[in-house]
Amino acid sequence: MSSKDEEMGKISHGMRLVFALSSVVFVAVLAVSPVKDLRQEWKQSKRGYVRYAQTRADTRRLLADYHPEIDQIWIPEMNVVDRCTTCHQGITEASLADPSVPQPFRSHPPIPHHVRDWGCTVCHRGQGAATEAAEAHETTLAWEQPLLPMRYIQASCGMCHRDTRPEAPLLNRGRRLLARLNCAGCHGLSGIERPDMLGPDLTNIGTKVRREWLYKWLKEPRTILDSSGNVTVDGYEEQPRMPQFRLNEQELRDLSAFLSSLRAKPVEPPKFDPRVVAAWEKKPDLVEQGEVRFRQMFCSTCHPLAVTRAGETKLIGGDVGPELTKVGSKVDSDWLAAWLRNPQAYLPLSEMPRYQWSDEDLYKVVHYITTKLADPDLLSDVPALESPTPDEIRTGRRLFLEKGCAGCHAVQGMSPQKDFGPDLSNLGGKNVSQLEFGNSTIPRNLISYIQAKITDPLSVNRAARMPQYHLEEPDLAAITTALLSMTGTPSSAGLSKLIVPAPRPEFRPAGAFGELYQRYRCYACHRFNGFGSNLAPDLSFEGSRAQRKWIAEFLKNPQTLRPTLTFRMPQFNMTDREAGDIADYLVLVLQSPNVNLESVSSKEFTPQMAGLGKELYEVKYQCQSCHTIGSSGGYVGPNLSNVGNWMNPAWIEEWLKNPQVLVPGTIEPRRELTSQEVTALTAYLLTLRQAGQPKSTAGAVRAGGGR
Amino acid sequence: MRQRTWFLVLVFFLIPGLPACRKKSVAAKTDPLLRAYDVETDPSDPQRVVPLNYQQAQGKRVFYRNCVWCHADATPAGPSNRSNLTPAPPLMNDGETFNSLSDEFLENTITLGGSAMGKSAMMPPWGRTLTRDEIVAVIAYVRAIAQPPYQPPARPGLRYSAK
Repeated sequence: MSSKDEEMGKISHGMRLVFALSSVVFVAVLAVSPVKDLRQEWKQSKRGYVRYAQTRADTRRLLADYHPEIDQIWIPEMNVVDRCTTCHQGITEASLADPSVPQPFRSHPPIPHHVRDWGCTVCHRGQGAATEAAEAHETTLAWEQPLLPMRYIQASCGMCHRDTRPEAPLLNRGRRLLARLNCAGCHGLSGIERPDMLGPDLTNIGTKVRREWLYKWLKEPRTILDSSGNVTVDGYEEQPRMPQFRLNEQELRDLSAFLSSLRAKPVEPPKFDPRVVAAWEKKPDLVEQGEVRFRQMFCSTCHPLAVTRAGETKLIGGDVGPELTKVGSKVDSDWLAAWLRNPQAYLPLSEMPRYQWSDEDLYKVVHYITTKLADPDLLSDVPALESPTPDEIRTGRRLFLEKGCAGCHAVQGMSPQKDFGPDLSNLGGKNVSQLEFGNSTIPRNLISYIQAKITDPLSVNRAARMPQYHLEEPDLAAITTALLSMTGTPSSAGLSKLIVPAPRPEFRPAGAFGELYQRYRCYACHRFNGFGSNLAPDLSFEGSRAQRKWIAEFLKNPQTLRPTLTFRMPQFNMTDREAGDIADYLVLVLQSPNVNLESVSSKEFTPQMAGLGKELYEVKYQCQSCHTIGSSGGYVGPNLSNVGNWMNPAWIEEWLKNPQVLVPGTIEPRRELTSQEVTALTAYLLTLRQAGQPKSTAGAVRAGGGR
Repeated sequence: MRQRTWFLVLVFFLIPGLPACRKKSVAAKTDPLLRAYDVETDPSDPQRVVPLNYQQAQGKRVFYRNCVWCHADATPAGPSNRSNLTPAPPLMNDGETFNSLSDEFLENTITLGGSAMGKSAMMPPWGRTLTRDEIVAVIAYVRAIAQPPYQPPARPGLRYSAK
């Protein structure tokens, strides 16, 4: 071997050092991996949980199920692979509910669905399989469904519960708003039905309002009160359903021209005898009498009015019909008279009842509305508009379609537009990359997108056709929740089995009652077998509750039964025959299967029983805390002063045994009464009778006006 | 030359460690109300909004259906029945009255009625009308809105939450 070969085999001192050092570095780097593994976020929180549990008194119970691996809830039929409980280990420990318990160990507030049966992501969204908090909670490149903020969590209830659940108030409010604001006019929405009439039918709008009013309304369907509660002089409605369209001057002129030209069916002016009118005109208190009549009819049960009291202006009344504060300056007086006499002649689908009018009453009320519910300055800022030219009408007609007006408003001869806007029935499940943000500055997430679209569509898309909605924060949150609940068809068969469909009850009686039911639009306030509105008591079992004579008298002259209720039954001026027909139908058909009217006879009651009942009523059960008899008692339940003439004895007995069976959801508490007590209380209640006409209408007017 | 080798070796071994240096994402600060199932305006201070969890929100719902008529000065229907009653029932957020009463006492009073607990018989028993969950939820709601705020007794194994 040559010395050169030896040299080659030898490693210089420097190289040795390099190798030695690099081996150390290599070992150190290899050690990074186990250390990193040990320091993984989920392992840290596993250890953190043990440490935390050891500081508490109930350590043993908290650690009973502890194991150091990844914890996973796997429900294959629902596509649930949730590892959330790896960190959220105390989720089912009731003792960790207190807010002083640090996250992620705090327990879940009690809910009807147990986490072991449902997993977490079904409701909360996020990435269930992730083992890092950031990946599980937020949007990542590989996962675009971040956690749903708790404010909108009720959207998840709505993914399966298409029916109305009282547990999810925000969702219900949002669904109601989507229906009320007629979103279905342009958009496809799951679970929100497209009604037969969305906005008013405009076929004859030219006979109702003037072009100037249309111009003003189209420009800005404004509010009477602004958001800080101040009165805006030229306003109209607090929260009109009509959104704000961005129309320029020319478009306003063209559209108002087109609409004011829609007068296919002329108004039939009411035929009053001029001599009689002259006599009415002489009455000094004509307007006051009209107002009294207006109040007696309880128009405010459905229509709000701005009322100024103690320097504060408030809208008072229901929201079934439009706001009427300045309606006298809006509509034509002949049209108004024809409308009040028969609303369905102008709008066949209107929910306004067809009152029985005497000519004098009609004249007075129309006179009151046109003089008192009016504002001479309403149209003062509208430029002078001449009669529409054919050119304007033609352009207006085109605009009517282009702007999407036909989505909500029918005009005879124009086909309604459906699906004018995009279908939203799976908006809630969209990924951020599926949304078009354009160059906008709004945060890139679904909730910001939805809210920007509703409150300021132009901020998302400069060319948006969508009108602008002015919503308060709770309403905006509610609508967002309802839209987020629309996630389309469920992703798995297991989930689609869980869908609870919304019920679609119908109640369309036939015969004489059917006609009156339609004429007085009973369902606009009352509910029958699940169909109708919740404004007034459910009448499904009214025949078991009330006596026929009482029903007939009440229909003729509705008295106040529940003094705290704002909304009152209007006086329709029914004829005896109509009231009798309705009472007959209620008594014969709307019966509860739980009440046998023959089972109790009021003849069996003795004065001793009634005496005991009075004692029970006043002392033991103190019913007077909620019910009024005569002039003393509480406001919560109905007034019982005339209950002996009002209710059937069998109903009272069943009611005392279990009110919820007869009216589900009633707030009268169910008590443990013995059968002797039930009989005694019934006997006492049946002695409560008022002779003759119970309450004068004047009393009801005072109650209505004094609200 | 030697220095360069050194440097290369170091770089070679350090590269795999680089991903560990990536920036941890910081959770954005969010509105506390975004973390609430439902909210309730403090009746004694309309500016203050109290976040409610699911249970408290159910309590709020039951409260506004069954209890508000006598335990508040304003009701959804307008006037309150409270002024008709003697003794006047405590207001819903009356912490001075409720905070010293235990959850058990409140639950029994609601379930069995006032007369069973030595209070006014005007308070009816709700045990056969409301479920136990509903009654517990009402207590959780009352605890959440109490003024002065309710402090739960410091003991483990508390049966349900106050806040």
